[in-house]
Amino acid sequence: MGEKKLSWSDVNIGDEAPVTSHKLTRTDLVKYAGASGDFNPMHHDEVAAQAAGQPSVFGHGMFSMGLLASALTDFVGVGNVTRYQVRFARQTWPDEVLSSKIVITGKREEGGQQLVDLSVTLSNGDGEDKLIGEATAAVPG
Amino acid sequence: MTEHFEELAPFPDHSAALEGLVGLSSGEPLLSPHAVNAPMISHWIEAMGDENPVYVSDVAARRYGFDQVIAPPTMLQAWIMRGLRASLLVDEARAAGTAQGSGPIDTVMGLLDAEGLTSVVATNCEQQYGRSLVIGDRLLVSTVIEAVSVTKHTALGTGRFLTTRLDFTAVPDGDVPENPTPAEIAALSEDGESVATMHFRILKYLPSARAAAPAESEARVGADAMRPLRPRPSVTQDNAFWFEGAREHTLLIQRCTSCGTLRHPPLPACGNCRSLDWDTVTASGRGTLYSFVVVHYPKVPSFDYPLPIGLVELEEGTRVVANIEGVEPGDLVVGLALEAHFVDFDDELSLPVFGPVGGTR
Repeated sequence: MGEKKLSWSDVNIGDEAPVTSHKLTRTDLVKYAGASGDFNPMHHDEVAAQAAGQPSVFGHGMFSMGLLASALTDFVGVGNVTRYQVRFARQTWPDEVLSSKIVITGKREEGGQQLVDLSVTLSNGDGEDKLIGEATAAVPG
Repeated sequence: MTEHFEELAPFPDHSAALEGLVGLSSGEPLLSPHAVNAPMISHWIEAMGDENPVYVSDVAARRYGFDQVIAPPTMLQAWIMRGLRASLLVDEARAAGTAQGSGPIDTVMGLLDAEGLTSVVATNCEQQYGRSLVIGDRLLVSTVIEAVSVTKHTALGTGRFLTTRLDFTAVPDGDVPENPTPAEIAALSEDGESVATMHFRILKYLPSARAAAPAESEARVGADAMRPLRPRPSVTQDNAFWFEGAREHTLLIQRCTSCGTLRHPPLPACGNCRSLDWDTVTASGRGTLYSFVVVHYPKVPSFDYPLPIGLVELEEGTRVVANIEGVEPGDLVVGLALEAHFVDFDDELSLPVFGPVGGTR
């Protein structure tokens, strides 16, 4: 079960998903805090963030993970991702443009399922990686 | 194996107690406050800017083979968040020293706080999905402490990594009684369908005097205001390009334009063909540890100790001397795969620093 986006015969190692980009705003962080229930003040309270030694509020790691997940599901189709893991390499800051990079790194059949492995990265305009991770997705037959 | 670092000397070492808690479950499973529902999904996808109709329209969902609208996969954690009011109560209790909870997670967090590791940052998250969540699923989650690391030096400060595993099960919302007892919640969790697993890793740490991740150069410069600047490199007309490259966060290698030989450190002439003509190539930043020293003494105030200094062989073939971060000095071995990032030490000086490939900095 899942959205059919990729075709098994056409999928090749090295294939890249279309890049998606998003400019992070403080309003995003407020909206995400409400949607996720994560009200850590480091993400919405500029005064508290600066008192803690941060230059400003910064993005929720899980928000970045979600942004990258949208790029991933757009590429492999919803309902197909079986595993998704990321390392939170660096913080994200308001006004940064966050862009996805998703590359197919493996193609295999396992337990009767057709699977692709992918490397997933979210980075800013200077090429600094914010999230570095991997995912596995089923390719519906 | 656990080294007791100097900066942690004022605090007790709870290694043994922490080890005893690994593998324990957090006790009672937690029941999500709300079943998977359309309004919460709607808020989430608006925050994400995700316009896939499968999250809002049953018709679209059926086109993809689902019976009805599904929830975005990474929304997993949102279903079990306790919410603003309850979070504030927990914070107040913690501040008042009457922190709730006698579960192993609370115990671990308490022990880590007592060790001086009071700051926290998330470092890794892995989610595995059994099936998509649909409207009407009520989630239950059990948390297990998977690992507590030995104390390590990181770019943020000295700390321990704590890995927890969250096992998610789902039951139909209609099966959940009003105000269920802990026994009823445990029974629901037993009967539930396993739908997802999440591993979450955090770093609990004592912020270093030079607290900041590589990305936060502004914060780092601010925190560094109290300590003397690093000694200035000896910049000449031959090597100035290299330090200018470093300020642009680019790792350059000098290349002879006559014979193509790469060289470092910068020199006026090619050692191979004696040509004075050269340009530069940008290094990938990847390399391996060729040799290293760990400096303990004498201590210069502008550096942190122990201070690992590596001779890193770049994949292009030249070698460069640089600080190593993110690896416990005892874990340094020749041949270790490393990658460069740049650190802005002050307004004038930026240098490459090497850390483990894919490792946490």
